[in-house]
Amino acid sequence: MKTFLSIALFFCSIISFSQTTISGKIVDEKNKPVPNANIYIDGTYDGATSDDKGDFSFITTAVGNQNLVISALSFETKSLPIVVENFKNQTLQLKPSSTQLNEVLITAGTMESGGKSRVSVLKPLDILTTAGNPGDIVSAFKTLPGTQVVGESGKLFVRGGEANETQTFVDGIRVAQPYLQTANNVPTRSTFSAMLFKGTTFSTGGYSAEYGEALSSVLLMNTIDEPDLEKTDVGVMSVGASLGNTQKWKNNSLSVNTSYINLQPYQTLLPDNIEWIKPYESFGGETVFRQKLDRGLLKFYASYTAANFDLKQDDVNYPDKLRTQNKNNNLYSNLSYKGGFGDNWNIFAGISFAKSRNSGIFDVYNYDASENASHLKLKLIKPISDKIKTSFGVDYFYTNFSELVTNFKSGYNSNILAAYSETDFFIASNLVAKVGFRFSKNYLLNENSIAPRLALAYKVAKNQQFSMAYGTFEQAPKNDYLKYSTNLKAEKAQHYILNYEFNKDKQVFKAEIYYKSYDNLVKYDTKSPVYSSNFSNNGTGYAKGLELYWRDNKNIKNLEYWISYSYIDTERNYANFPNQATPSFVADHTASLVTKYWIQDWRSQIGATYTFSSGRPYNNPNETVFMDGKTKTYNNLSVNWAYLISPQKILFFSVTNVAGIKNVYGYNYANTPNSAGIYESQAIVPTADRFFFVGFFWTISKDKKTNQLENL
Amino acid sequence: MTKIIIAIVFFITSLVSAQGQFEQGMGKAFQLWGEGKNTEASALFERIAAAEKTSWLPNYYVALVNTTTAFGTKDKEQINLLLTKAQNALDVELIKAPNNPELLVMQAMIHTAWIAYDPMTNGQKLSGTVMGLYAKAEAIAPENPRVVFGKAEFEIGGAKFWGKDTKPMCVQIEKAIGLFATFKPETAFSPKWGLERAEAALKNCK
Repeated sequence: MKTFLSIALFFCSIISFSQTTISGKIVDEKNKPVPNANIYIDGTYDGATSDDKGDFSFITTAVGNQNLVISALSFETKSLPIVVENFKNQTLQLKPSSTQLNEVLITAGTMESGGKSRVSVLKPLDILTTAGNPGDIVSAFKTLPGTQVVGESGKLFVRGGEANETQTFVDGIRVAQPYLQTANNVPTRSTFSAMLFKGTTFSTGGYSAEYGEALSSVLLMNTIDEPDLEKTDVGVMSVGASLGNTQKWKNNSLSVNTSYINLQPYQTLLPDNIEWIKPYESFGGETVFRQKLDRGLLKFYASYTAANFDLKQDDVNYPDKLRTQNKNNNLYSNLSYKGGFGDNWNIFAGISFAKSRNSGIFDVYNYDASENASHLKLKLIKPISDKIKTSFGVDYFYTNFSELVTNFKSGYNSNILAAYSETDFFIASNLVAKVGFRFSKNYLLNENSIAPRLALAYKVAKNQQFSMAYGTFEQAPKNDYLKYSTNLKAEKAQHYILNYEFNKDKQVFKAEIYYKSYDNLVKYDTKSPVYSSNFSNNGTGYAKGLELYWRDNKNIKNLEYWISYSYIDTERNYANFPNQATPSFVADHTASLVTKYWIQDWRSQIGATYTFSSGRPYNNPNETVFMDGKTKTYNNLSVNWAYLISPQKILFFSVTNVAGIKNVYGYNYANTPNSAGIYESQAIVPTADRFFFVGFFWTISKDKKTNQLENL
Repeated sequence: MTKIIIAIVFFITSLVSAQGQFEQGMGKAFQLWGEGKNTEASALFERIAAAEKTSWLPNYYVALVNTTTAFGTKDKEQINLLLTKAQNALDVELIKAPNNPELLVMQAMIHTAWIAYDPMTNGQKLSGTVMGLYAKAEAIAPENPRVVFGKAEFEIGGAKFWGKDTKPMCVQIEKAIGLFATFKPETAFSPKWGLERAEAALKNCK
């Protein structure tokens, strides 16, 4: 027995006293030493920190097969099986962690706001603290390069494309009608309130194969995954009121946001150049419900707006004012799920349903249009290895459009099935390539097509990278044409984009050049598209340009500002153009300067936005050359002031076009010449030279800290 | 019989020696931290965390060392890395014990560091979350001096911004100082820091 005990003790002491020295060197991918790395044998206390030369050495009592762990800031943690006795003077290489600033990202054509991207060009706050059009989520994007100032529309016009060439997606699902209905030349707003969104990507071209039915651009908006806290938001505005509430439970949460807008009091006080019979009135609401599940998140989003207005506008073709009466309602809902399953698979599934109806009187005609649309989507993502990540999915778009204009009926039913696949190849730590394609089958047009996509990004230095993108993009012709003729093909565009980006310490610089070519654009041979027009796909066009963006939150204390500049050269022969020409919504030069200055003593943020654009073309039938006219330049200085009365109460003022500059968007000409043989003209001007907005916003929450500044 | 006794003795000794190792390791890490060798201290806490999966303390200290280091760092990129490391370590423990008031205070501190990192962006975003964390911690452990002090300190920042009276928070800081005197840490290595900071904060009150 004694023998056993002594043997046991002896053995025991051997174990505790058998010591081995582990040593080596830690280097990065370029074989430069990595100091301050933590090297240890997993499950023991034995380890060391590497010195300035990357060298380390420590003594361990562990024996045999062990795992050596190396962790260091900004590197991926490495776990290495070793045999303790054999491990001496080895050099170990660490890989930079991919979540860090050194990551190479494809950014050609994309501009991100919020979210996790390091290259956010807009912060969530910016969406609404940008002086100009308070409260409209789309308007902040109009201060970014690539967009046009088309004041009479209010929609996004990107790189020579029409407004309908930009598709909007909420949580990955298409929104069929992203804008509210307005009359001719009265600017519209988007149907979204910023309250519920976080992280928006605006792509001006070269986007992923995941997004289809968009010729020029996509706007990707994501609802908040998890609200911070329960709260009630109350807003009283010069144009209406809003009320919102968020409730949180253990695994789910619900946000509801409603608003009522009525322009009657404002119009009475400050009449504009429209004769309102019934000023614009709308009631709307949005809701998001989120349910956390075992390995995923289920979201339901819905928005509803009912609006009406009745007005009379001057029109050069009518001796009396022209009446537009409109009642519209717009319902959009989507249900989406994202989550993981199996071995590293990610799934996204979603479905949307949209129903909109527009009815009223135009001149002496009654009209009644309705659109039902649905989008089904399934996407799967799988990292095949460290170096290769692939995703693929299917889309199904259904649209049913019908219109009744004084007993004349038109409409169509469209079904589009699409499948896509895309693979990211991380060729080196500073080089990534994305290759994909999108197959699309349009049952209505009886057309199949394949659109390739290719993108590359190359990181030249820590803060600088180049990226490029190429792709073919397609979109079915718009409602205005399809309702009269389905004997058409999808319109096509090719994008070539080269982008340079510099990003350092709250400063972002982007420069981008692009070339786009258009094919299969719809043409018709009448004044406006009508049932008897001859439609064809013979239209073509091109767009090329240079865009610059600079944002700086660093150099001047309490001041954030950004500058955007876009140059575009584009011509199209489409619609009823007799020859190739620059469309009327395009200005060659567009520039914006956006500033925000925080004054602590006043607890105020003062913002100013200045927008300039060169003259826009218009067609003067008194001239022989088509589209030969040019308007004068456009200038607009808008200011806003957000004053924080208390942590939860904000007073907000804004004035659009402070100086009251008389801007002209273009000219309408009479269809027929007058007795002197001259076509009379009418300037298209803003409905009012200035617009004033006053609002009081109050947040009621338990912590008494949150306010709606983020939403202003 | 003897065999069994020996086996038991053997087992207990090994347990004790393991226990001793934990104490030795933690002691050594605190020593390094005290000497200002924050990287080495964090590295040692990290090693202990990997070996001692049942104790939340090593990861808590990984988070604490890196967060306090971040507060004293100027380089934005470095702050980002330190806070990410702190968050990752804390996440491991918060999943296991979402109602541990010390972990909640730690989470609030990491968020506060993010607010200091970029007040314009993160102030709006995280202030509410921080207050929510302190409120939750306070409901669980109203007598924990770090909870009381952390909440009061954060509120003072807000009150100064709004030009409001900081007296109620100062009363809370005094209360916290009283609580520090009576607070009994569960183990030798359980969090017990904060008295000096609270005293310094109280001086600013007067």
